Amino acid sequence: MNRLAPPLLILLGGLVLVRHGAAQAPGASVSADAVVVTVGIAMASLRDLAFGTVPKGVATPVLPTAANAGAWQITGNANAFVSIAFTLPTQLTNIQALPGSTMPIAFSATSAIWRRANNNPAGGNVFNPATGATGRFGPPGNPTLYIWIGGTVNPALTAKPGIYRGAIIVSLTYL
Amino acid sequence: MTRVLWVAAALGLLGTSLDAQGVMVAPHAVYIDHRVRSGSVLLYNPGTEPVEVTISTFFGYPTTDSAGAIVLRTVAAPDSTLPSAAAWMQAFPRRLTVAPLERQTVRLLARPPVNLADGEYWLRLVIAAKAGQVPITGVSDTSGIQVGLTLEVRTVIGVAYRKGAVSTGVTLSNVRAQLVGDTLVTWSRLARRGNAAYVGTVRGRLVDSAGAVRAAFNSPLGVYFTMEPRIATVVGKLPRGRYWLRYEVVAEREDFDDPRLVLPAPVARDSVQLLVP
Repeated sequence: MNRLAPPLLILLGGLVLVRHGAAQAPGASVSADAVVVTVGIAMASLRDLAFGTVPKGVATPVLPTAANAGAWQITGNANAFVSIAFTLPTQLTNIQALPGSTMPIAFSATSAIWRRANNNPAGGNVFNPATGATGRFGPPGNPTLYIWIGGTVNPALTAKPGIYRGAIIVSLTYL
Repeated sequence: MTRVLWVAAALGLLGTSLDAQGVMVAPHAVYIDHRVRSGSVLLYNPGTEPVEVTISTFFGYPTTDSAGAIVLRTVAAPDSTLPSAAAWMQAFPRRLTVAPLERQTVRLLARPPVNLADGEYWLRLVIAAKAGQVPITGVSDTSGIQVGLTLEVRTVIGVAYRKGAVSTGVTLSNVRAQLVGDTLVTWSRLARRGNAAYVGTVRGRLVDSAGAVRAAFNSPLGVYFTMEPRIATVVGKLPRGRYWLRYEVVAEREDFDDPRLVLPAPVARDSVQLLVP
């Protein structure tokens, strides 16, 4: 394991760039044991999904265009297509109460948005996070993809106080 | 043997003040030669918290759905007619923790069957990173209820294993184009030839009657069997007149630092006329 400050890692990326081997004839097999791209893929959170005050007995929605929607920025290969898929919870579990204390959470057909190279959900591509979408990175110079997600929590009147937790899985597949 | 690790570009993200989720994965496609039978993927954690990573594999390949969207088709139990490497490719380690600002390497080791035919075999590598808690901020509820979501990021990249003579090509047909508002939408049918995936780029040029290029697009894609991709490009409002869409598919990829990994193939071209009333 190597511990590197970011600038050093960038430098290392350049230092280990080694090319050897003669050019090969067209159609010949290629010898390579590791590859060879100018970019990887990285994901960063721009904003957490924030439901705010959650009163009992009242559904609390967050739209993907809202200021408190979850937002991510993905950096990858310019213009490349990428599959965006979510694995979503249907129930959140109260981790402070006895087992079985849950709260429903729902995502609609318009709960997610993706947009290439533009950090503004307005005008983006709305999609159902349950079924996913094919997104696309931005052009050279701005090879980014933005994703926003909202949802609705609906604590019952009898919901027990405490912290309710669930998991969202985001899958990004280079196509 | 070519050995290239090139990770810098994606780390431009590090210069931002964003909170990292998961790990950076490089490269986004791995090619392994039969004579070497191993490869590697670099994971880097640009965040401030350790990231737990789990590695897994499956078989799948890009194709298109009925609307032309490129999607990943997965096959849980690929039969012998599919060029799957999932049964004999392993990743090590399968579980690891990447500390903040540290990097680790995942090794890929192939144990192909002895009688493996020449050709290219595929699998998908899943890098699942548990990125910690996603706190729900701003909760000052009166009911004593707080809601939090944890986030797991799965990055799925392609791995190709090449044995012996591999070749590829693409047959282009049924090119269509339509202007929808300010957007040029194109479709085509791409059928792969040879025994390896066609990795290339679709280039489109919209040319007016005077020969001037009014819009252009480049779309990297891979043709594994047959696909009919829909590619949309904002071109703005065009004056009335006749236009030609010059559509070509080339075996070139800007994102591959070593062009030898992109198998050579003839350029496929076609053009269609568009009328803006």
